[in-house]
Amino acid sequence: MTQFLIRRIFWAIFLFFVATIITYLIFWVIPADPAKLAAGRGATMQDVARVRHFLHLDEPIWEQYGRFVWNLIRHGSLGRSFVNRQSVDYTIGQDAPVTASLVFGAAVFWLSLSIPIGILSALRPRSVLDRVSMTFVLIGISAHPVWIGLILSYFVGYRLHLTPISGYCNFFPGTAGAQCEGPVQWAYHMILPWITFMVLFTALYVRLVRANVMETMSEDYVRTARAKGASQSRVMVQHVLRNSMLPVVTILGMDLGLALGGAIFTEGIFNLPGLGHEIINAYNNDDLPVITGVIVFSTICVITFNLIVDIAYGFLDPRIRPS
Amino acid sequence: MRRKQLLSLFMLVVGVALLVAAMAVGGASSATKKPGSAEALKGGTLKLNENSEDFDYVDPGLAYRTDDWSMLYTVNLMLVNFPEKAGAAGSQLYPEAATSFPTVSKDGKTYTFHLRPGLKFSNGQPVTAAAYQRAWERNLSPKMGSPLGVNDQFQNVIVGADAFLNGKAQHISGISAKGLTLTFHLTKPNPTFVSYLSMQWFGAIPPSTPYTTHGLNTFASAGPYYIASRTPGRSTVLKRNPYYKGSRPANPDEIVFTPNVDVDQSLLQVKSGQSDLDIGGIPPTAAATLGTPNAAGSQFKVGPTSCINYMAMNTAKAPFNNVSLRKAVNWAIDRPAQLRLLGKYAGKRSDQILVPGIPGYKPFNIYAISGADVAKAKSVGGSAIASAPSVNVIHTNTASSTNRAQVVEFNLKQAGFKVTDNPVPGTTYYQNIQTKGTSYDLAMNGGWCADYFDPFDYINVLFDGRTIQQTNNVDWSFFNNAKFDKDMDAAASKSGAARAAAYGKLDQELMADYAPVVPYFISNDRFYVSKRVKNWIYSSYFGEPYYNALSVG
Amino acid sequence: MAALEVTDLSTSFRTDDGIVKAVSGVSFGLDEGRTLGVVGESGSGKSVTFLTVMGLVDPRSAQVGGSVKLHGQEMLGMSTSQLRQIRGSKIGMIFQDPMTSLNPVKTIGWQLEEAVLIHQDVTRKEARKQAIAILKEVEIPRADQRVDDYPHQFSGGMRQRVMIAMALINNPEILIADEPTTALDVTTQAQILRLMKRLQDEHKMAIVMITHDLGVVAELADDVIVMYGGRVVEQAKVDDLFAKPEMPYTWGLLGSLPRLNAAGGRLDQIPGQPPSLLNPPSGCPFHPRCEFVMNVCRQELPALDPSTQGLEHRFRCHLDEEARTRIWNAKKAALSAAETAA
Repeated sequence: MTQFLIRRIFWAIFLFFVATIITYLIFWVIPADPAKLAAGRGATMQDVARVRHFLHLDEPIWEQYGRFVWNLIRHGSLGRSFVNRQSVDYTIGQDAPVTASLVFGAAVFWLSLSIPIGILSALRPRSVLDRVSMTFVLIGISAHPVWIGLILSYFVGYRLHLTPISGYCNFFPGTAGAQCEGPVQWAYHMILPWITFMVLFTALYVRLVRANVMETMSEDYVRTARAKGASQSRVMVQHVLRNSMLPVVTILGMDLGLALGGAIFTEGIFNLPGLGHEIINAYNNDDLPVITGVIVFSTICVITFNLIVDIAYGFLDPRIRPS
Repeated sequence: MRRKQLLSLFMLVVGVALLVAAMAVGGASSATKKPGSAEALKGGTLKLNENSEDFDYVDPGLAYRTDDWSMLYTVNLMLVNFPEKAGAAGSQLYPEAATSFPTVSKDGKTYTFHLRPGLKFSNGQPVTAAAYQRAWERNLSPKMGSPLGVNDQFQNVIVGADAFLNGKAQHISGISAKGLTLTFHLTKPNPTFVSYLSMQWFGAIPPSTPYTTHGLNTFASAGPYYIASRTPGRSTVLKRNPYYKGSRPANPDEIVFTPNVDVDQSLLQVKSGQSDLDIGGIPPTAAATLGTPNAAGSQFKVGPTSCINYMAMNTAKAPFNNVSLRKAVNWAIDRPAQLRLLGKYAGKRSDQILVPGIPGYKPFNIYAISGADVAKAKSVGGSAIASAPSVNVIHTNTASSTNRAQVVEFNLKQAGFKVTDNPVPGTTYYQNIQTKGTSYDLAMNGGWCADYFDPFDYINVLFDGRTIQQTNNVDWSFFNNAKFDKDMDAAASKSGAARAAAYGKLDQELMADYAPVVPYFISNDRFYVSKRVKNWIYSSYFGEPYYNALSVG
Repeated sequence: MAALEVTDLSTSFRTDDGIVKAVSGVSFGLDEGRTLGVVGESGSGKSVTFLTVMGLVDPRSAQVGGSVKLHGQEMLGMSTSQLRQIRGSKIGMIFQDPMTSLNPVKTIGWQLEEAVLIHQDVTRKEARKQAIAILKEVEIPRADQRVDDYPHQFSGGMRQRVMIAMALINNPEILIADEPTTALDVTTQAQILRLMKRLQDEHKMAIVMITHDLGVVAELADDVIVMYGGRVVEQAKVDDLFAKPEMPYTWGLLGSLPRLNAAGGRLDQIPGQPPSLLNPPSGCPFHPRCEFVMNVCRQELPALDPSTQGLEHRFRCHLDEEARTRIWNAKKAALSAAETAA
């Protein structure tokens, strides 16, 4: 187990360097100049030079990268934004809970929908339920979240006045200047984003669960269980479910890790001040420190969730349990 | 994205005439007159969205975009300021914190202001001359690293500013503050100096306000409002300054800015009353569905900006080093078609650089303003069209830009040009066209907005060939003509009516004789307000209503 | 009375391509304590026959006809709950591949206990005692420790012992073993067969041994049925069958027994492919592969006739007695010649 963890940590460090070096290289290759953006249109060359020096952009790229790594290791700091000079750590600290609210909330919904629907579809292939759910799966996979979000806002928020149109409220009260806060307002504002975000995943997971359950039901050990005289429900609960959920756990772990890096479209549509919103703004402004910060954070998320999956897998599947 | 990215030194060449006019009208009268009066307008929370953007800074020492400034206008107490009035009256300065316009020494280098007694910051501290000294020093201090890109414009104006900026002095020696008396010593006479002071950089700030490279999110201010809280990317909340005793309106109890809203969602919020206004405007496609703008009781507001939109032609290389080809393009472009693609009430067709409101503006129609004139284009361009190399049309790769570029390319082909389509991402776009020796021939997304209401800001700033530098050029045409440079210098030295007349002629000369760009429309700002919003006063300078005057009470 | 009496059983499946007649008109009986060998190629219907008996075919796609009687009680048409009480309790079943037939995420003990708890009203503790006891009985060393192991910690042979233990834990009257040794190596095969034989004696149960290996039949079975194309083509006491098989397919099977043909290095193969169950051949299902095919074979399915040797030896063939005897004698001579040469 210790060896496994050590291997994992080395792998994480390696991935961190790969991801950040690639970010810096891309930034270096594309013909963008944040100093010019910051100095403004029509700034004189001296102005731009001053800004460039201020932002350390006059240093060679490896020096900039070295400074980034040093600041991270020595001060635990991801630096400051080129655009508004806010601390990137602070920004990510502000954004991450928003994205987490969206992703985990939606995950609860998509799992609690897709698992039962997937199982029922698998139990009755070609039934009406199966056909209806497969049609919704197709729609869910095809529909773009921006479209879904706008349609929901328009009908549910604007026409029916059932939910807010967009916006975010903190779960924990006490933020200065917050217009709304607390769990109730939080959930109330998150309803549409959750639905928007979960549509695609619900569709994907219904299909995933259905396929896995069907595959597991044709396993020899399920036939063995039936031959023992086990009832249908016992067969499903004790023999099919756990085995068919194993691949779902893996994919869920990967999806959650990735999604925490930013649910760009949903956050944009509903003005959720999360990581996806942040990285798009940063990208538009060539804001390298923020881009790198979000990438570092999502790399950590992906690695962490993969680790969690691996550990959880050990409990779920005795075959790969590290002894 | 309405950034005012340039605030060049020249931007504040408010004609001396304007200054004189302001003094003549009598600052005192405009200052004491209460715009929109009536206590009934007071109260409530004004909820403002800003689509796709947030203020970059709210610290007046760092902020320099129009959206920042339109907000800072409500919190800043300026030495001299613009009143909350629509149209031309809104550009007449009056002394706000100062008792009157300054006394100027005979050599024109010393300006002395006397502050009104009893002015207070939102924290109760009194406003003294030191508050303005601090504002200048926060702007130029090397400890602020600010305001990026504008230091050059001020370091040489005031005595000792240069030394201060370079860290060689603790204070700017040319600014002295004693009680309520503030004195500026200039390096040389500068008739526009007073106008500088109306910029939001120079609002009163408590002398104890620290220097900080990353800017303050809240600070005490002496205007009608103060920033009570701000979370970047989430919200900025203004509250009425309890110590403000001046005459400027402070109608809403509270003003809340919510940034980064999706533009379509934002309109829905305003329609449903969840928000009062998107200060970034409405989605262009919605304009046709919102009824008649500015009608009585209409929630749809359209106001002209000072922004002229043009396509730039690269005059530094073939084919557009040939002036007749540039004129041919001006005939070939279908201006109404371009405007239609931008949605209803997007603006007004134009084929010249100056815009209404700028002294010297006189509408004249040189080119095909009501549609493409292919025959004329062909006859003006002549045989050179056929032998011209393919026109490299560069445009950003957004859907809107691409659509408009397609129409332009169609127009060019109609006139007989060969065309190469060159879509690029927004970041690369400006990099490309602003660099000397660039390969583009026609750039789609050009435009200029007034930094100040003076023709200099358009003609000289955009077309003075002597300002062309290696990169970061604003003269996208790389237009460089010695005779025109001389004419511009001559116009710039004039004042009053003569100045206006000279610039009017220059505007015509530029388009008739040189045609380095294809101006095609003056854009409007389009807004939609919630039902409860009253007292709409639009400022074409900010391209926004005055937030402190809006009423939701 | 026969423990199991199957009469005219047929099973067909609806598929996208059409109806697959997996089992057609199969009849046989199984007496208490006896062993029935069921022989045939893959796809001959031998497994489906017994899955149908167990009620383990999917009722949504399968069409079942005929009769299955357990001690005179009709099983076809029983409710699922009645069937569940029989499965694992009166009839135990073990499967071909021990590697995949155990649930990988549950311990051996849990899976054995489950079999007990489904059919007996006992505590889990008692069930565990039974599980350990039966593991000892199938000769799993250190059974009281290994009961908490997972299937992947066992070898193939051990897992098959666990499967047998699971099938026997409720003392069934009948054990259906579907190719229990096919996936195992030869040494392990022998051990498993010996184990089954011993357990049969101790538990006094009837065994159905489904296999394609005539060697296993010869070793274990009392009676044997040969299946081909979903039908029974020959049915006899095991000695009778080996003494004088009566139809060409059985001859082919015997000819392909490695034991009988060790020297030649070449097994006698039955040429051609097993018949399609979707579009079965007309007449005798074996006729396309039969070297003695006659016109009548293509048109008429031969009845399952008793041979002259006695009512218990039945087979399907249009060849007359004389021809069958002549051909078999010739084959036998060739086979023993090959054996002697070895």
